[in-house]
Amino acid sequence: MSDLMTEVVSTPATAPRTFLGAGLDGEDEAQREVRGFTARQRFDLVGAGAAGAALAALLFGWFAPLSGAIGWVVVAFLAFLGLYVLLISLDSGLEEVKDRLSAALFSTAGVILFGVLVFVVVYTIARGVEALSHPNFFVQTMQFAGPLDALDIGGVAHAIVGTLIQISIALLITIPLGIATAVFLNEVGGRFARFVRTVSDAMTALPSVVAGLFVYAAVIQGITHERSGIAASLAITVMMLPIVIRSSDVVLRLVPGNLREASYALGSSKWRTVWHVVLPTSRSGLVTAVILGTARGIGETSPVLLTSGVSAAMNTNPFKGPMISLPLQVFDFVRSPEPTMVARGFGTATVLLLLVLFLFATARALGGRAPGELSPRQASRARATSARDLLRIASKKLPDPVLEN
Amino acid sequence: MPRRLARPLVAALVLSGLLPIAFSTAPAHADTYFPITGSGSTWSQNALDQWRSNVAKNYGMTVNYNGIGSTSGRTDFIAGTVDFAISEIPFQAKPQDGSAPEHPTTGFAYLPIVAGGTSFMYNLKIGGIRVTNLRLSGDTITKIFTGAITNWNDAAIQADNPALAMPNKPITPVIRSDGSGTSAQFTLWMATQYPKLWKTGMTSQFPSFGESKAQKGSDGVAGYVSQDYGEGAITYVEYSYAKKAGFPVAKVLNAAGYYVEPTAYSVAVAMMQAKINDDSSSSAYLTQILDGVYNATDKRAYPLSSYSYMIVPTEVTSKGIFNTNKGKTLGAFLRYVLCTGQQQADTLGYSPLPMNLVEAGSDQIKRIPGAGNAGIDFASCKNPTFKAGDSPSKNQLAVIAPYPADCDKKGTSQCTTGTAGAANQTTPVTGSGTGGTANTKTNTGTKTTTGGSSNTGTTGGSVSQPTYDENGNVIAGSTTDGTTSGSGTTYGAAVSKPFTLPDQTTASTQWLLVAAALLLVAVVVAPPLLSQRLRRSGGADVSR
Amino acid sequence: MSDRSIPSHPGPAMLAPAASPAPQPADGFEDVPRRVVSKHSFGDMLFQRSVLAAGTVTVLIMLAVGVFLSLRASTALSKTGLSFFTTQAWSPETQTFGVAAVLFGTVSIALIALGVSVPLSLGTALLLSEVLQGRLRNLLISLVDLMAAVPSIVFGLWGVYFLQGSIIPVSKWISIWFGWIPIFAVTDASGQPQLQPSAFTSSAFIAGIVVGLMVVPTQTSIMREAFTRAPVGEREGAYALGATRWGMIRAVVLPFGKGGIIGGTMLGLGRALGETIAVYMIISPIFTINWQVLKTGTNSVSALIALRYGEASEFGLSALMAAGLVLFLLTLVINFTASSIVARSRSGVESDV
Repeated sequence: MSDLMTEVVSTPATAPRTFLGAGLDGEDEAQREVRGFTARQRFDLVGAGAAGAALAALLFGWFAPLSGAIGWVVVAFLAFLGLYVLLISLDSGLEEVKDRLSAALFSTAGVILFGVLVFVVVYTIARGVEALSHPNFFVQTMQFAGPLDALDIGGVAHAIVGTLIQISIALLITIPLGIATAVFLNEVGGRFARFVRTVSDAMTALPSVVAGLFVYAAVIQGITHERSGIAASLAITVMMLPIVIRSSDVVLRLVPGNLREASYALGSSKWRTVWHVVLPTSRSGLVTAVILGTARGIGETSPVLLTSGVSAAMNTNPFKGPMISLPLQVFDFVRSPEPTMVARGFGTATVLLLLVLFLFATARALGGRAPGELSPRQASRARATSARDLLRIASKKLPDPVLEN
Repeated sequence: MPRRLARPLVAALVLSGLLPIAFSTAPAHADTYFPITGSGSTWSQNALDQWRSNVAKNYGMTVNYNGIGSTSGRTDFIAGTVDFAISEIPFQAKPQDGSAPEHPTTGFAYLPIVAGGTSFMYNLKIGGIRVTNLRLSGDTITKIFTGAITNWNDAAIQADNPALAMPNKPITPVIRSDGSGTSAQFTLWMATQYPKLWKTGMTSQFPSFGESKAQKGSDGVAGYVSQDYGEGAITYVEYSYAKKAGFPVAKVLNAAGYYVEPTAYSVAVAMMQAKINDDSSSSAYLTQILDGVYNATDKRAYPLSSYSYMIVPTEVTSKGIFNTNKGKTLGAFLRYVLCTGQQQADTLGYSPLPMNLVEAGSDQIKRIPGAGNAGIDFASCKNPTFKAGDSPSKNQLAVIAPYPADCDKKGTSQCTTGTAGAANQTTPVTGSGTGGTANTKTNTGTKTTTGGSSNTGTTGGSVSQPTYDENGNVIAGSTTDGTTSGSGTTYGAAVSKPFTLPDQTTASTQWLLVAAALLLVAVVVAPPLLSQRLRRSGGADVSR
Repeated sequence: MSDRSIPSHPGPAMLAPAASPAPQPADGFEDVPRRVVSKHSFGDMLFQRSVLAAGTVTVLIMLAVGVFLSLRASTALSKTGLSFFTTQAWSPETQTFGVAAVLFGTVSIALIALGVSVPLSLGTALLLSEVLQGRLRNLLISLVDLMAAVPSIVFGLWGVYFLQGSIIPVSKWISIWFGWIPIFAVTDASGQPQLQPSAFTSSAFIAGIVVGLMVVPTQTSIMREAFTRAPVGEREGAYALGATRWGMIRAVVLPFGKGGIIGGTMLGLGRALGETIAVYMIISPIFTINWQVLKTGTNSVSALIALRYGEASEFGLSALMAAGLVLFLLTLVINFTASSIVARSRSGVESDV
């Protein structure tokens, strides 16, 4: 509908007549819509836009020998803003101008932000298609591909496997440790827990390359003496653990206290409360926390840059020999100025991107619900369970007191 | 309930754990060879990557190689985190550049793997046409990489290129940001040949200066030069990178007075003059002494030729990851590299090793634990530099190496044929001998002064990319036609045309244009605004 | 599975002892709160012990990282002392090394990143929380969250292969028209303005834009969350008093979301400071302070580590760790300041960043 109030306040003379009646009648109980457009506002927008574009074209083509697409866009946008303000001010007051101008600026910020971010992704995928269109890209390794070979030889299967192995090991450490620590922070508490929370919060500030440097100096130089998958996993773990702890901590904190209290009131122990109430309630949140941490861990290049080593061959043994992962493989490919290598780099980046998107979509599907909120399937399952319980309890109702007494 | 919590996580773990197993059956080759891992030089990485894939295909060997720079490779070898390292220079026990001395604690041996030329890849256009036949003398190169020469139209560069009208364009020297053997070879050459110009001595860390741009790895510098914005840039990099990137390299003046391209032939000819440390008891056994190469008097020799070394372990220690199983792979790999592998050196942009070094390398292989006592069978060795029964000091490539054309001789004229990756692009110049040396010199003088007075503005090269001119008419009238046409009058033509409009006039016209634009805006906006104002005041009167 | 757990649940049996000593509330004369003394069962003890162990392990890992870094860094720091913060060169072997140049580069890149990201994220957050509605809004909110998960190497690729080439005209334009502002000038050593394209590549400006885009989604979602929390009552009050939407935003949303704005900005700053790979791919590392942000050549602590760790000697590695430690502490201070601001601004609302 319309921005009725502002119209009424600022320019009573030009307020749309139909709405005035409807609004004052009080009969129309519909909520006032503050987020829409009137036809007039639309006209202002479109008109100013067209005029801005025309003015910019005139300036660029005839008046000033300006050139360049970016320059044109900037000039056109400034002209649009100026004309838009002018158009609004023709029949509205200062407040109205400010309001509409601010909305235009917000939208501009949004358009730029989403435009650029989507462009970053689309650009990567578009340039990766060249390599991705060769099916061998997904199943072969770079072992048999020399620097002169075309795109129909070689692939990144080894990097995909490397990424999966490394992230699996990291998750094997991170999930139990991270969630248990988060449970400790929330359910046990105390001074030591506060200390743990402070330390783990502090570690979220650890730059990922420093995590890599730590593993390089402590583990590679000190223990394993070679770059390997396990070293990369450890670096990812050091980077991911604080993130997972922090987000799990937040999720657990969101579990309503009355659920816990109800559980305690029923006489269950702390352990049972955590296992049967707290964790199931925050399940989707925890899964989301872990998956988002995973996405972060998979995508980060700098820890593996220092620790995993570079290999062109499939290596499934994380304890021996270099094991490359997707982000590092991207980095390794695009160092080369050769078009085929760059195409492979973009292809690998696309694979990485799709992996992260997949993880994110999974996180969205599983998470995104408040604690205790059930999906339709879960809800029907819960109803069925309650019904069964009811039947069971009903069937046992008579003998029970007898046994107890 | 809790099991439901665990299920997706467990599923994810199992899935990611199963995938590798499914994939791991793919390469079924690896029968008896243990994988080996090395790191180091990017100078010879192109050759190594090719060999790596060849031995994977043919013998099922897994050779991992990480091109992270020679210095990192040597550091890794000392730390024992790799089985072998590749470097252009030996361990630096007393480094000249103040870096940390390198003292490997385990036994090691140097083993030459391939020869090549450190070339000067550049990206230069004159009047929108790519130059592919640039020639540079040693001291010009040194001056460029010390910041003494900063513009392509410098008299020294012009003197090297009599047939090109060098544009007024700043030079962007691209250097290596990491510790690199290429930097070391290049600085060693400068320190030996031009000690007055280059005072730093041999260094792996090229010091940044003036307008220099630092990039990591041979890939990085070559990649920068080959970009559009790399126009005007020049870098030092192995010949193969220029070949791969499709860019030309500068022909470098040798001691015989010819400008030579670092082809496999010219490197092989030059390397005939290398002295090799043949004291097999020394730890620097087989390392190269290149003074003879720098001053080789053969017309065909490329002065910046050198070998790249593999550093191999000669003992198994508990400190590192090397063991005799890996020694077996390493030995087999090296036997391949020294013979069959050398066949591809030329195609890739390197030069194959001569027989004497293959012989010595064969002895070094025997020192690797686990590699076995079998050296190289010279009868079946497919190295293109020798035939069975040749004398070790002979190099077949040097025998058949072509002599440079007359137009490559210093002073008179300039060949039009392209180099390296741009070999099939000729640069349209006809600066034939009619101009003569005297003419060249006088013209050069005139041109330099003109260039100096014509300010530092946008240059002719920008013509090809008008999109760069946001600011309006910086470029508007300045179409510098740098391409030369007439013979002998080449310079005159280039000089007579102004290179660019001076910036000052540009600024004032810009303000005029701004005024014009404002006027346009006023014309568009003022009438409706005024009429509105008038109507409103009129309307107000009516309502009162 | 829940039906299996119920039979095993010792509900009544456990309830009985707790219930029996309870005073009879019906009596009315003694209404003392029941003292809750929970007796730990074996399971509880095991549980407590194991989560305590997990917490301890976590702390040990993290302290190990911190202590290891500090110890190794102290070797280098003890050699240089305070000159570590004033030296620009990086040559640990000759004992002349310091973070002045790299830290300057890091901070300048991060500040440029904020210059790009804050207006964008502020505008977009307000757009999402106040202007848009319905499906589009939900879609865009998910998109922002998704973009926060895009790997940094993807941004790096885009920066190197797209932005670096296409930003040159813009940089050039800025340097021509605003060259009189020292930081926007691009001059060579002699002070002559530079105009060739290569002078505008690999600059702090380009790296800053890329890093800025990288942190924009995080900032946007934190700010949006803070804005949506602005109380409805105040919003309606503002409207009722005749405010326009912008008036309402200025009077209600922005003051309430101030903590979110500052917190989001600073968290973005923290991430921008630590970003490695995108910066490493773009910049041309130098070890001098370069005030001309549009001009080629800058450096950052994390890029320095990535560049030099491989060839560093034992002592060189200590020096790198000292640099890493400085970066870590800087990020730490910023993060803690941010979270305390966010926490303070959100009285009564139970959640976290």
